[in-house]
Amino acid sequence: MIPPETLTYLFMAVAGIGSTISVYYAIFEKDLLKAVVYSAIQSTFYALLYFLLMAPDIVLVYLPVAVGLIPGVLIILISKTEREERENAEIG
Amino acid sequence: MQRLVKTLVLVSIILGFSLILTIAPEYFIPGEAVRPLAVFYLSTTFNPWIPHLTVNSPEAVTAIVWDYRGLDTLFETAVFYLALIAGIALARGVSIKAEPGNGVGLTVIVKTVTKITAPMVVSVGASIGLHGHLTPGGGFQGGATIAVIPLIIIVTFSIFFVIGRGVTKEKMLVLRSIGLVGIGLTALAALIVGLALGKTAYVFQNMAKPTSEVSLPAYFNGSLISGTLWFFNLFEMIAVAAGFTIAFLLLTYPEKKEGENT
Repeated sequence: MIPPETLTYLFMAVAGIGSTISVYYAIFEKDLLKAVVYSAIQSTFYALLYFLLMAPDIVLVYLPVAVGLIPGVLIILISKTEREERENAEIG
Repeated sequence: MQRLVKTLVLVSIILGFSLILTIAPEYFIPGEAVRPLAVFYLSTTFNPWIPHLTVNSPEAVTAIVWDYRGLDTLFETAVFYLALIAGIALARGVSIKAEPGNGVGLTVIVKTVTKITAPMVVSVGASIGLHGHLTPGGGFQGGATIAVIPLIIIVTFSIFFVIGRGVTKEKMLVLRSIGLVGIGLTALAALIVGLALGKTAYVFQNMAKPTSEVSLPAYFNGSLISGTLWFFNLFEMIAVAAGFTIAFLLLTYPEKKEGENT
């Protein structure tokens, strides 16, 4: 039987690794819409981390802002520019 | 140059990990003992036996945010308001009017789901905000949760539908100003009561202090409202929800009309 404290640390480790992988994908993704989705996944892992670290106030402010509002605003902004990130953008 | 940066990053990562693995537990990682400041907050946040120091709120975080360190939160709110004013100043001269026939939006399925979930999200946000002095949460959390709904409605029903229903930039600005004026009046409430009664009182005072016996009611009709905390949470919730709605209205306004994109 695994003690509950070890289980908490295990969840925290999984969430930490998952958030790091999501950040990697968010940075290297050329499709900006997908990058926003990866960023939201990273935010979900962070919210889980905050919850396991016993900061429910931060979870409640982090979830609507980082998963709801910021992706929404970013998607609106992407719809006003271009969806693909270009390597050699000649037009400034 | 690039190789130098890479080497530096690698060396600092190795040094940082060796620091964490060797001497960091002695100096940087806090022990299990609760620090004296935290002991003070935890022992006075809801303690009816110390009536001149307690906040009468079982939620220590909201008590710290709006009572012990209330002035910090006031300036935080002011910063958010200034950012919003900058956004409105950028969009000055833009008058958004409802244009019938232009607001199509998404399909019926998405609209129906939005109609069902919108009241749920708003009630959850109100619950988070208005119970901020009892459970984790507070004004900003509740307001940010409510603000998701204007964004979703703008996306699913189109901005012209929202403006046609009377949710304009000017009205949201009035709502936001009501919230801020409420926060200011709540901060001055104990001072006003003290002036009226001729007793010593302070700005941002909530419960009675050792040098001032003015105390705002901790209970209203038998339920705990923790003096000013409930009103701070209510007005902050209104201000944050209205502020985010203004930002979304400004962001989603189409710069060109349909058919003009050449």
